Amino acid sequence: MRLFKKTNIDFMGKRKIWYTISGITLFVGLLAIIFKPVNYSIDFLGGTELLVRFQTAPPINEVRGTMDKIGLPGSEIKTLGDARDILLRTSAQEQGAVIADRIRAGLSAQFEGNKFEVLREEKIGPKIGAELRRNAYYAVIATLVIILIYIGFRFKFIYGVAAVVALFHDVLLTLGLVILFNGVSSHLNLEISQNLMAAFLTLIGYSTSDTVIVFDRIRENLKIYRSDDLFTVMNRSINETLSRTVITSGTVMLVLSVLIIFGGEVNRGFAFTFLIGTITGTYSSIYVASAIVLDYTRYKNLKAHQV
Amino acid sequence: MKQYRGRIIIILLAIGLALYFLYPTYESYKINKHLQTLAGADSTNYILTNEKHIRDVRAKRIKLGLDLQGGMRVVLEVNVLKMLEELAKNKDDQFNSIAAEIEKEAQVSEEPVTDIFKRRFDEKGIRLSRYYGSLRESNDEIIKRLQDESEKAVDRGMEILRNRVDQYGVSEPSIQKEGARRIIVELPGVSNEQEVTTLIQGTALLEFKLMKDPDIIYKTMEAIDKYLASQGFTDTSASAKKSDTTTQTNALAALTQDSSKSVLPGDKSPEQFAKEHPFFALLRPNQKGTGEGYASENDRPRIDQILKRPDVQKLIPSDMEFLWMAKPSFVSEGSRFFALIGLEKKAELTGGVIVDARATIDPNFNQPIVTMNMNSEGSRDWARITGANVNKRMAIVLDNAVFSAPVIRGKITGGRSQIEGMENIDEARLLEIVLKAGALPAPVNIIEQRSVGPSLGEDSIHAGINSFTYALILTVLFMLMYYRTGGIVACVALFINVSFIFATLAAFGGTLTLPGIAGIVLTIGMAVDTNVLIYERIREELTTGKTLNAAISAGYSKAFSAIFDSHVTTFFSGVVLFQFGTGPVQGFALTVMMGTAANLFTGIVITRVLFNFMTTRSTSTINFG
Repeated sequence: MRLFKKTNIDFMGKRKIWYTISGITLFVGLLAIIFKPVNYSIDFLGGTELLVRFQTAPPINEVRGTMDKIGLPGSEIKTLGDARDILLRTSAQEQGAVIADRIRAGLSAQFEGNKFEVLREEKIGPKIGAELRRNAYYAVIATLVIILIYIGFRFKFIYGVAAVVALFHDVLLTLGLVILFNGVSSHLNLEISQNLMAAFLTLIGYSTSDTVIVFDRIRENLKIYRSDDLFTVMNRSINETLSRTVITSGTVMLVLSVLIIFGGEVNRGFAFTFLIGTITGTYSSIYVASAIVLDYTRYKNLKAHQV
Repeated sequence: MKQYRGRIIIILLAIGLALYFLYPTYESYKINKHLQTLAGADSTNYILTNEKHIRDVRAKRIKLGLDLQGGMRVVLEVNVLKMLEELAKNKDDQFNSIAAEIEKEAQVSEEPVTDIFKRRFDEKGIRLSRYYGSLRESNDEIIKRLQDESEKAVDRGMEILRNRVDQYGVSEPSIQKEGARRIIVELPGVSNEQEVTTLIQGTALLEFKLMKDPDIIYKTMEAIDKYLASQGFTDTSASAKKSDTTTQTNALAALTQDSSKSVLPGDKSPEQFAKEHPFFALLRPNQKGTGEGYASENDRPRIDQILKRPDVQKLIPSDMEFLWMAKPSFVSEGSRFFALIGLEKKAELTGGVIVDARATIDPNFNQPIVTMNMNSEGSRDWARITGANVNKRMAIVLDNAVFSAPVIRGKITGGRSQIEGMENIDEARLLEIVLKAGALPAPVNIIEQRSVGPSLGEDSIHAGINSFTYALILTVLFMLMYYRTGGIVACVALFINVSFIFATLAAFGGTLTLPGIAGIVLTIGMAVDTNVLIYERIREELTTGKTLNAAISAGYSKAFSAIFDSHVTTFFSGVVLFQFGTGPVQGFALTVMMGTAANLFTGIVITRVLFNFMTTRSTSTINFG
């Protein structure tokens, strides 16, 4: 079976159109990042969080009423997937498990006939939250530096720069979409948590490897077709790798779709984020990474001719 | 084929090794399945007869993270400021006001507390020697000493926690040090928050208790034994493992030469002995009459149960209590044996009087010793107590576990004591930590506490495993359809790859978490990519009219650089994640690193050998779709 015959699409010729589309999407994403409040999970914020499962779904106002009554007004209350599963979160902090016990006592007083079970209980100090955020930044920066060095070393320096710019594009775009989609459905939990952080770092890894594979073909073809200019070589390389690109990203997307559907609450946010990342990661290898290398080389050649 | 001989040997070795590491996990799964079919007494009997095997297998199987099996995770941090405050002498108003300022700053600052401490005192131009140490010491010297002290506090806190968790009886607890000041406690299967919080946060209690007269201890044990025999107490489990009993008895007989007070079975059969002496069948008294009784760790809970019974309590003198030694006395047949000793209920002294303790090597005898200093008040009492109890044994008890019970050689005046008889310097260091635990509490704060109910654990493990299986099946189907023979080879490689990941997890004692499963799913994606890259290349080469053999080898060599570069970058981002991430992120990074490494081997080396194997047989069966 073969999905593709030999293709000959003029990818690079249309790059200006895609620059515009990328620009617009990035702009929308940036607006979301700036104007929509970012939902950090308890991992990064600190506080107390309880996930309880009632026997029958309780009315949310009553739960809210209980939280107000026990002196924790303004707590976050939402259902997670199943209407019986209620997530309670407060930023209140005290030594030990005092807050959690108070919530437990309050709930069992309010819902006498409706027993509940605590599925998860988390208490995280504010210092740990700050530390995690810092570690997340370090991790991203360290990854980018390593990728820049490695690709710069294996190819040319501009290739490394282009790959990192493509990564910025992917991360920003995905982050924007994640923030935009957060809260759309109770089945899709897209808070910025440690899990989502893992998704972002995975998409960085995936996007880089996709870019590396396109670059690898360009590097190879540049040696074979010495008389052709970069524009032609790039188009040829992208066409040659197209079949692989579609099959691999298709399989990854398939796997991620399975995770989204069957992977459970915890894996869904991860899979969704990474799915967006797969799409932008595949796209950016062509229209961000390669396109930047092309335009930079052309600009440099132009300057060289002028001098 | 010949040029591949070396590779084939390596591949077979790797697969064999993987199977070796995976076997305990499989065996443990089988045992659990089997246990589910057994009911009540049958299952306890099964556990008892196969105890050693089950424990071995459990220790080597793949460990599941708390998110998959439910349990509690607590992160503790030593409160350095509180410790510094407690260490200070002659505290005045000025000290207290500076301490309050430091506390405020420490809450928001990332600077180590000791640094803030020094800076604040330097700013005010106050010499730290006013509160700590001697006049001659400079601020720098004192701070350095206090830093050492705060690091030791973490070790102390860990030992206190380990001691308590051991007594609490959690299976496979994990207590680890993170960084310089943090302790992570993970308790699988535990869900009682309150109990754990009090267990962890209570202040350590160090006591000195005199040991009872060995004769009285022995008589009490004997009385319990006789009483139980008269009650017709038979311990089913004790008779269920008769073969065990004999080996244990032999080990004990070897340990104890004097058999004047023989209660050992001698020519009696173990069953009969267990019937006549139900208590001594579990707890073997020391034959030299030291007043200790030994029991294997598996029998400990049963003995505790017996001792707690109200009717048995009546047989124990009201001023006496039985406590276990914290560390095993000896190991026999893979079982650890602990000593139970009888002590005065009332403590002679508590650890608050200890000023300092230090483990060193005695230069005269080249033996490890521990020296211990007491404050003036403690020294007075100590002199009186030791003077009145020469040649008796004094037990050092921390949180109800006996760490040492040295014999008092003579009256100790001046508050400086020396404890000898440790087997090695590690044992001495442990005693130092224990003695200091009473003097210098290690104030700890809970900074993170997570608990996952077992049902959520089950939910997520099912979701994870299901999605994993579906993803695998879909991928395999697609590969088979699209690449035919190539697909089969790819699937074999995929399967080996996944077993390598699990085997490495088992071999290094790694923990499988839910994000870890996500990492494996990602690896599957990358493994498929490796094959796709190679097969697309082979197809390209085939269209240029090369022979199958030539196309395969060209495909592999041309695809190599792309595969290598993409795997190396992914591997490095895994390394970075592992380095900077915590908990769940590390679990993810771990499987990604293992997966990419295994992938290079399976995707490039193993599949190549498989193709070579097939081409030497016949070329007509190979089809790349």
